Amino acid sequence: MDVGRHPKIELLAYSEVEKVDGTVGAFDVTIRKKARYVDENKCTGCGACAEKCPTRVPDPYNEGLGERKAIYRYFAQGIPSTYTIDPDACRHLAGLRAEKEGADKGKIKKCGVCAKICQAKAIDYSQQDQIIQRQVEAIVLAVGYEVLKPEGITEYGYGRVPNVVTAIEFERLLSASGPTAGHLYRPADFVGKKKMPEHLPHAKKLAFIQCVGSRDGRRSIHCSGFCCMHSIKEAIIAKEHDSELDAWIFGMDIRAVGKGFEEYRLKAEQIGVKFVRSRVAEITKGPKGLPIVWYEDTRARRVYSREFDIVVLASACLPPKDAPVLAEKFGIELDSFGFIKTRPFAPFDTTREGIFVCGCARGPADIPESVAQASSAAARVAQVVLQEARKVVMQ
Amino acid sequence: MKRLAEKQLSPLKSKDVRIGVFVCHCGSNIAGYLDCKAVADYASTLPGVVYSTTNLYTCSESGIAEIKRAITEKKLTRVVVASCSPRTHEPLFKSACKEAGLNPYLFEMVNIRDQCSWVHMNSRDEATEKAKDLVRMGVAKAWFLEPQEDFEMPIEARVAVIGGGVAGLSAAESLADMGVSVVLIEKSPQLGGMTLKLNSLAPHLHNPDDLVNPLIERVEHHPRIKVYKESSIKSIEGYVGNYRIELDVKGQGVVQESVSAVVVAVGAKPYIPQGLYGYDGENVITQFELEQRLKNKGVGDDVKNVVMIQCVGARSQAEGEKSYCSRICCATAVKNALILKERFPDIKVSILYRDIQTYGSDFEAMLWKARSAGVRFYVYDPSDPPKVADNAVLVRSQIFSNDVLELPADIVVLSTPLEASDEAPVIANLMRIPTDANHFFLEAHVKLRPLDFATDGVFLCGSCRFPCTAEEARIQGMGAAARVGALLAKGKVISSALVAEVDSSTCCGCQGCLRICPYGAITYDESRHVCQVNPILCKGCGACAAACPSQSVQLKGFRPSQLLPQVRAAMESLKEMFVSCEL
Amino acid sequence: MIRDKEHHVLVIGGGIAGIQVSLDLAEMGFFVHMVEKLPSIGGKMAQLDKTFPTNDCAI
Repeated sequence: MDVGRHPKIELLAYSEVEKVDGTVGAFDVTIRKKARYVDENKCTGCGACAEKCPTRVPDPYNEGLGERKAIYRYFAQGIPSTYTIDPDACRHLAGLRAEKEGADKGKIKKCGVCAKICQAKAIDYSQQDQIIQRQVEAIVLAVGYEVLKPEGITEYGYGRVPNVVTAIEFERLLSASGPTAGHLYRPADFVGKKKMPEHLPHAKKLAFIQCVGSRDGRRSIHCSGFCCMHSIKEAIIAKEHDSELDAWIFGMDIRAVGKGFEEYRLKAEQIGVKFVRSRVAEITKGPKGLPIVWYEDTRARRVYSREFDIVVLASACLPPKDAPVLAEKFGIELDSFGFIKTRPFAPFDTTREGIFVCGCARGPADIPESVAQASSAAARVAQVVLQEARKVVMQ
Repeated sequence: MKRLAEKQLSPLKSKDVRIGVFVCHCGSNIAGYLDCKAVADYASTLPGVVYSTTNLYTCSESGIAEIKRAITEKKLTRVVVASCSPRTHEPLFKSACKEAGLNPYLFEMVNIRDQCSWVHMNSRDEATEKAKDLVRMGVAKAWFLEPQEDFEMPIEARVAVIGGGVAGLSAAESLADMGVSVVLIEKSPQLGGMTLKLNSLAPHLHNPDDLVNPLIERVEHHPRIKVYKESSIKSIEGYVGNYRIELDVKGQGVVQESVSAVVVAVGAKPYIPQGLYGYDGENVITQFELEQRLKNKGVGDDVKNVVMIQCVGARSQAEGEKSYCSRICCATAVKNALILKERFPDIKVSILYRDIQTYGSDFEAMLWKARSAGVRFYVYDPSDPPKVADNAVLVRSQIFSNDVLELPADIVVLSTPLEASDEAPVIANLMRIPTDANHFFLEAHVKLRPLDFATDGVFLCGSCRFPCTAEEARIQGMGAAARVGALLAKGKVISSALVAEVDSSTCCGCQGCLRICPYGAITYDESRHVCQVNPILCKGCGACAAACPSQSVQLKGFRPSQLLPQVRAAMESLKEMFVSCEL
Repeated sequence: MIRDKEHHVLVIGGGIAGIQVSLDLAEMGFFVHMVEKLPSIGGKMAQLDKTFPTNDCAI
């Protein structure tokens, strides 16, 4: 909210940079503001449109575990609070496109319910993308990261064995604003059903598998930094929801290195979370349709298999998929892991002067690190832009 | 969003009380559990209420616009919003009032979410009645609200940085480049801190001199930085915008400096593992001591076997040892193992560990490099730690077998944690800033405000916050500079009007308030025998008002004359229960 | 400090890092243009329920 209200911040959401020209002190940036098909100045965020919209699609905010409508708000408290029509889902927009291409009028299914119901008259199907130009003195890339979708790690059965989810999907399950309102139901029991079934059983046995796609010679050797802590947190919260729940964390090293983290890990142990030093070999589908985890407990030097209700994969933190495109657009280099490369002793400078990077776009970082990095990057930008001293390149 | 010019309404008389009530649905957070329309309808029957309505989301752009419109059109002189907790949106609603020309302190917020709908999710009728009661109380208080003005104090762009290591140097350099004057205070004769004593920086094995020396050079020659070396701090008095520091500078005597803000960057020191693993400083040494030997070429060809033990004196509940993980020791051990292998290719290096904490991309890559270079890794269990014997280390590493392995060792290197520096408790005391159980400084919020203190005007960075690498220290130093910059940029400090004030005509000078104030905001005037409150330091906690036997010190916005009507309003629905109740 | 002319900076990304750097720069007196490809800001943190180690709500 602070960002939305700040007099010195212009927020261009649902927008992307198309082109960057110029140099530090004088960049010319071309931005495409995508059409929401909703007038931002008129929309009050009342939600009547979404209530009446007949089209449902999987909800990316809930990692596909829930659904949203073709007209939607990304999440309830989002800023800006304006609604948006997904042009790929909306049947009215699809109808308009087909009409333009000369399709048979009788065959086009049209809708227009949202426009009819909107009291503020904010729906505008004819809205176009806007191209905006801005002149700036410096650019900061805070484009974040992407979570590995573990279908490629076939031995873990993601997408094949029921109730195997990624950590961020599990996060949505635990969340009160998620698809199950925080009830730890097993995804296979409700995903894809038209209505949430009643009286679903709660998951009682959880497995957290660390280093999925990280520290992996076949994919990327890097460590994703925050997943050990993330899994510990999820295990603790799951046990807070239900103290009888069994939570197991399978990892090689448990990286709890930040301030207060070792104490947090100890707390997990004290409330009964089990840590097994292992690298899970395989996840198979058991006779009850529940996942079975096969692992070697390296301290016992024995191989075990164990059935769980839900298996959570701590999936790797990867550079954004469009990082190479971004690198080209901005004229910067990526490092050997695909994250945005920075210069030695200048931790936020990219390889192009005047363009800076902070947060996970630079490499895996947890929230306090990202916040500290962002503040420092701001100092660095101020330093460079003000040009009161020549930037020192310490090579 | 265009801002209207601020207009102030003329002083209010009680018959000018025109209250607008806005009852929020909060989506379904409130409306789902009580009847908002009924509450709004009830509110319109209350004395002084001239306008009453409901909103879906009062905090949305349209909700705010509605408040502003109502203030203008209905000539409202008070606004009451019944919605969520003041901690979420009170500043937003107050700004809306201000923009519409209404003094923001004539705004009252009633919490019918956290204190009503969220805790009475299964009793719609009773929850609605309770919401009505709460709104009635809010309206009763609104009658007695007074317009207030925030305090503004000009602030000079002059900052003290305590500590001349990488963190402090980075903060100083960053600030000076932004145009701020900096006073850098260092206790030793040399700037550069611990980094200068290091042999090499992980993960790329850079020479620390390449990082630190140019930084020192810039700081020492920067026109806006004044450096005091070999100095100790005698006292730091004051508050944000107005700190007075007294230093004892070698060769200069006592020096005074005035600054607006302070950055604490006093670093940390290596823990010495007395009594652990046969530590003797000669053949059984700390990782830091190994670092010195490597730097000064003190590791000879006669060393054939090196065994490193991780987590010595750390991650332990034992008396005298540290409970935390010191973050950087695994990366340091792996780095030094790699360096040893490069310098003496035939050397055997083993690392005995509990978890190898080479986090992130570059440190993990360094780990893989070390394994390829032939460094051996053995896991041990803390319940059965390694034992240092004559020229060997005995360890049971269950991942191989249940037997005890005997590893030959010419040198045993103990990786110990960084612990809080000796300066930390001194500074903490002088400035009344908090430290945690491990004597590291306690920031305002571990996640979202890692470089601020809860006290305004003081900031922290580097290992004094928690062990970190040289690069992380630099990042935090620059970050702290940005936080200071944000404070100084406006040229003034604005502090809330809701502070305590003393009516000196009734104050008897008992100093009960002074003793109870946690912020040191109250002083005693000897000549007039009364207490007085410093409005800048006062945080509005109200403890003084509760302690005062004569109600001479009162908290603005929460005076008895404002709170008692609220209580009476609350009791109204219980009138039938109490035959007579005098308040 | 920054009083001579208005300096403009572009920040791309509306997650916690983008939000923090925008706020810090704006507080220091810079004018920030923030670009986010999703319909609203908040990034990955908006998808989290609670955060470690304090178990505070993520929003």
